[in-house]
Amino acid sequence: MPQFFSNKRLILLLVGVIFLVALISFSLRDRDNASLPEQIIKDVVGFGQSVFSKPTHYITGVFDNVDSLLNTYEENKRLKGRLEEFAKLQGNVNDLASENTRLREIVDKLDDLREYEPIQATVIARNPDQWEEKVILDRGEVHGVKKNMAVMTAQGLIGKVKLTTPLTSTVELLSTQDPNYRVSAMVSGEKEIFGLIEGYDDERKELILKRIDSNLKIEKGQKVMSSGLGGIFPKGLPIGEITEVTTDDFGLTKLAYVKPAAEFALLDHVMIAKRSMVTVDGTDGGNSADKNSEDEDAS
Amino acid sequence: MIRLIIPAIAVVLFYLEPVFGLFSPLDIGGEYRYLIPRFLIMYLIFISIYYSRNRAMVYALLFGLLYDVFFIDIIGLYSFLYPLICLIASFIVKFIHQHLIVTTIMSLVLVAGLEFVLYQFFTLIGLRDITLQVFVRERLIPTMIANSIFLMVLGWAFKYVINARLLQRLNQPN
Repeated sequence: MPQFFSNKRLILLLVGVIFLVALISFSLRDRDNASLPEQIIKDVVGFGQSVFSKPTHYITGVFDNVDSLLNTYEENKRLKGRLEEFAKLQGNVNDLASENTRLREIVDKLDDLREYEPIQATVIARNPDQWEEKVILDRGEVHGVKKNMAVMTAQGLIGKVKLTTPLTSTVELLSTQDPNYRVSAMVSGEKEIFGLIEGYDDERKELILKRIDSNLKIEKGQKVMSSGLGGIFPKGLPIGEITEVTTDDFGLTKLAYVKPAAEFALLDHVMIAKRSMVTVDGTDGGNSADKNSEDEDAS
Repeated sequence: MIRLIIPAIAVVLFYLEPVFGLFSPLDIGGEYRYLIPRFLIMYLIFISIYYSRNRAMVYALLFGLLYDVFFIDIIGLYSFLYPLICLIASFIVKFIHQHLIVTTIMSLVLVAGLEFVLYQFFTLIGLRDITLQVFVRERLIPTMIANSIFLMVLGWAFKYVINARLLQRLNQPN
């Protein structure tokens, strides 16, 4: 191969490799924000991308509509059955909500971890090589999006904001393999049981809820929600349902597999939850595992 | 007009890739299949074979950089691999017949190579931990099927456009 590896090319190739390694190690670092040229590129490309993806969403929307039109009869029958139940539930909820506000007024505590202000966004692109689970939204800092905010669909939580630019934001989905990705969660029941969503089982397609106190009893079928104690997420966003409970590797705490409530494929319209209560940097933020375990030791 | 058509097609393909990405992963028989669109790099391979190697490498660098910054936030990965693939393509093409079928097959082989290198890279930095078998079953085979369909449908169109541009350049040298 005399042609391919002439001296000049070999040197160019080597310089290229060195440059590549340097750039990769620079960008793999846990960066807080995108640099200015990156932000400019992202915004410009993002604008073009939304021009291409909006018609796509429109077309898939038409197909979805036709699809649901075909199922109308079946669905109608099923929904009628649940309507009665729903009316009763609605009454209960209204009752409880008004009672809750009244009680809050009595104790003078008007802030609520559950309250959030939704920012509607459209998914303009999904990382096409799909090695990392990322999607890009058409809302950015100008619209009030900040790093680490919760992103959800109507079904439930799907991820959190990883990087923001003025006009776009990058969301890392819950199905990521990133070891530093965690969400503070709770199992709802008579008593709230807290744990952390850490990791995703690729084969089972389920999330892993770790660090549950082994004295507490949890069961298959219980619902998992965000706890709001991670500092940034609002409380009560549905995450999924428990499918299996085991003990963790060391046998000290319990571990549960959680089937996600939301679908991670075919995302189009999502909501970014901007918590009304003051936010602090906790487990939902980008803290390292070491720091967290130190915090736990201290408490 | 025709001067601009080659970069214009590249831009359109660049934007189309993530749009196709929105439909993936496909859930077939309870297992996810990842179809990874690689339209742009196949087009760039065609440019480097039929048009000009240097032009292809400039486009490859530019779009690779955009891809890195916009999608994967790891700068330097695609902006290195894309030009490298164009370089390899222009090197191989000296030894083979430039028939459309041969170049189509070569492009597909190079795309498979790209997928494999990326698999190695992401395993190395620990973002993904999947075995080679799973990689081949869930990613490589569906990706190659999807991309070969794409190239079979549009490969001749790429060649036609590039030839039209070449002819025009020969007629009016500037």
